[in-house]
Amino acid sequence: MSASTSSSNSASNSSSAVSSGTVDGAGPGDRGPGAALRGGGPGHQGPGDLTLTSIVLFTLGAYGVAAGAATGQEAVVAVGVFAFTLFVVGILWPICSLARASVSVVGPTDATVGDSVELRIRVAAHASRLDVRALDPPGVWCRTAAPADGRLPHTATRRGVFRSVRIQLRTSAPLGVFVRTRTVRVALPAPIVVAPRPSVASAVLQPVPDERVTSGAALLVRGGGDTVRTVRPYAPGDPARLVHWPTSARRGEIVVREYEPPPALGVALVVDLRGPAPEVAASLAAGIGTATLAAGGVVWCGTFEDGQPVGEQVADARDLGRRLARATPGPSPEPPDGWATKVVHA
Amino acid sequence: MNLVGARAGSATHRRRVAPAYRIVAVPAAVALGSVGGIAAEHAHSPWVFGVLGGALAAVLGVLALPSIPTRRVTVALLGLGGLAALRHASFAGTDRSWLLVLWAAATMLTLVLVDRADAETVPALRDGVPLSNRIAETARVAGVTAVVVIVAVVALVPTVTDRLGRHVWPGLDPNAASVLGAPASLKSSGELPLTTRPRPSDAVVFTVDASHADFWRGETFDEYNGSSWSSSFPRDRLDVLGHVGTKVQVAPELYDEGARNGVEFRQTFHIEASYSDVVFAAPSARLVETDKLLIREPDGTVRVAGGSGSGFGKGAVYTVFSRGIPVTEPKLRAADTTRIPGAIAKQYAQTPATTARVTDLAREMTAGATTTFDKVRAIESWLGAHTEYSLNAPLSPPDVDVVDDFLFRSRIGWCEQIASSLVVLARSVGIPARLVTGFVPGTQDALTGRFVVRERDAHAWAEIYFPGIGWQGFDPTASVPLVGKSTSGGSWLADARHNAASLAIAAVMLALLAAATPHVVTAARRRRARRASWSAAALHRLERAGRKAGRARAPAETPREYACALAELLGDDRLAAVGDTLDMALYSASGAPEVDRADTDAVLTSL
Repeated sequence: MSASTSSSNSASNSSSAVSSGTVDGAGPGDRGPGAALRGGGPGHQGPGDLTLTSIVLFTLGAYGVAAGAATGQEAVVAVGVFAFTLFVVGILWPICSLARASVSVVGPTDATVGDSVELRIRVAAHASRLDVRALDPPGVWCRTAAPADGRLPHTATRRGVFRSVRIQLRTSAPLGVFVRTRTVRVALPAPIVVAPRPSVASAVLQPVPDERVTSGAALLVRGGGDTVRTVRPYAPGDPARLVHWPTSARRGEIVVREYEPPPALGVALVVDLRGPAPEVAASLAAGIGTATLAAGGVVWCGTFEDGQPVGEQVADARDLGRRLARATPGPSPEPPDGWATKVVHA
Repeated sequence: MNLVGARAGSATHRRRVAPAYRIVAVPAAVALGSVGGIAAEHAHSPWVFGVLGGALAAVLGVLALPSIPTRRVTVALLGLGGLAALRHASFAGTDRSWLLVLWAAATMLTLVLVDRADAETVPALRDGVPLSNRIAETARVAGVTAVVVIVAVVALVPTVTDRLGRHVWPGLDPNAASVLGAPASLKSSGELPLTTRPRPSDAVVFTVDASHADFWRGETFDEYNGSSWSSSFPRDRLDVLGHVGTKVQVAPELYDEGARNGVEFRQTFHIEASYSDVVFAAPSARLVETDKLLIREPDGTVRVAGGSGSGFGKGAVYTVFSRGIPVTEPKLRAADTTRIPGAIAKQYAQTPATTARVTDLAREMTAGATTTFDKVRAIESWLGAHTEYSLNAPLSPPDVDVVDDFLFRSRIGWCEQIASSLVVLARSVGIPARLVTGFVPGTQDALTGRFVVRERDAHAWAEIYFPGIGWQGFDPTASVPLVGKSTSGGSWLADARHNAASLAIAAVMLALLAAATPHVVTAARRRRARRASWSAAALHRLERAGRKAGRARAPAETPREYACALAELLGDDRLAAVGDTLDMALYSASGAPEVDRADTDAVLTSL
């Protein structure tokens, strides 16, 4: 899969998108932070699985009852009823154990695709032993007795904002006759925002109009400019290298140079996820934006979120990740005038 | 729902890391050993052999086949055990049903432990609740399941067998071989020779569903000729009893009040022998449910019509409703106030063809008794005091009165001689009496409640007529001691010799147990110590790794020295640090830091 970028001035506003690969076109959803792209089901559509033990018990039970009843042999009927009772108990016990099970989950608020996160899980059930795992994608089974609190590992495999997770419970206790499996969707008290994993990209540091820069902090990241704006009297703490000796000599007091602030550098990222590879595009945009921010630049990000175009300067890398997590395919806003623009196409 | 092999697919991998599977061998051995014992019992082998064989097979299956997942092994053992239990339960000829109960309990435990072992192989939830103690969980689950199973068995088995089960069933069609192979005690012949010695086997001949034990009466005999008994009634001019469906009404004998107005008693007979043409029943049969045609002789004997080969085959079931009056000694003594019917006296109270000294002996025995009951008791007492029981008693010479020979010469005999003597002696003093053959109740199966009757339970006893009551059975053999029982000394030795095989097996098992106990106890102590102490467990892992590498730890070697030696041998410098940590954990007051312990665990795991 690939995504393309095109650089342009905002005046030209031209872009090109060449991509390949397959996606399902889904943006942020409610299927869980690790929802698979396709066929993300739990693998157990029914109430559970019968085991080989159940087949043996059922066969013995049916044969014993039938043969014993036909011949009037109480001992044979007793053996059959015994086997059949184990069969029934072995099925009903796990079903009853999970019948009233409830699950609550608290997850982290931010994650990045590919990160392993820990979900704090609370299982309210009466079971001597059960296995639990997160779905989308299916994680590793972890055993516990219930009721229980614990930490469940899970891998975020998909970008988006997730307000619920799917948890799967399983038990075959006590006889191993029937593996009862139950899948529950749990609403999260705070959504998990899964940002795209930044791909490797270079920073784009182009001058941007100062009046459009909303974050002064970003401008002061790297040193000052090299144009002397004025001189002022020395103040304790000023470095000696800033003393302007000719003026000091002329005035008879020590004065120091004061420089013009450096010009703002950065890039306007226009993220257009309407294409076959939105995840790759989001990842590329995250890579460019993160590299630019790390280099002291500013980033303006234009995306399509919640059904409308949104264009704002981002505060930091986490803010950029959240913006890209919320981004869905749709028309992006126009970049601000005077900004060097990087259009990322899906 | 999907049929899957459950989590068995990865069990091979789990076995190596989950010693919890080893405990499964114990209940599995008990389960398979139990059905092995039942099978051996039916094969007429010592049941201990079956128990040992089954247990050994189960232990080998669980422990010695590491390439097969334990769950699959146990499922296979469960299937085998279940099939064997069904197969041998269907014999209905065992009085070892406690082994069946043992099999059921052990099977249940096996299932619980296997599933628990499976669960223990799954990684634990971080900060989750650990599983409860294995023994406590197993006991709790087994208790609850056992209650459910018992309730189900108690509630369902009678319902199933009553509604679906057969109280009438034709069984197999008997052929010539099955008729020839059947014990003589199951075949009606109209004659009972006293000069042939029975050699009964332990084979089960039939089982009886009945609310209480009774003697299962077959034929009666009224004519004695000195060497055999026979019936004076013609056997070939009897009409077949009428059928209404499967029900055959049997008319009571003349003057038999018990058969007319007695308390009803139901019995269902399941034939296990290859053939039988006598309808056995507690006295006296009044209604028989069967698919066979029956005839009734005037003396109350009921048998299958149609001659040889027309009787019941193996698996046949018939139900009899009998009637009899419960009696007490006062009631029997009071019966003498009523006159004996003439027909009864003529048929059964005439002096039999025996010697004069037998008649004199009878008068001498009963001289002090005033009632019929007391006279019979007096004869029984004399027989008990002066005769002995043995199936190896010498046979009477030809042309000699058997009763005379028994009473005056040998005084050793089996039930036929003893009961014949009572009948002949009773008749000699004018008491109506006849000889009866049939079976004693047999042993009652603890699980099914059935009376299991074997060929060796064949018996002969006497019936005495009491006016107003009817025919009443007396078993004089019960008061006759076994040969040698009256003499003291040596009997325990004889018993020991008789049970030599069983004693030898028990001795071998005890010896094995005694030899294995110290090892088991030591291993258990070590295991417990390892569990209790991290340092001991880590040292054990280090020693195990060393042994695998061919370098066992010397007795005087400290952990540090041993770890350094292994580090050099294996080229792994991390082992030196492991030795330091172990020394610190073992010998310093503060123990090893948690970080070092974690590092040691990681190193040992990587080995």
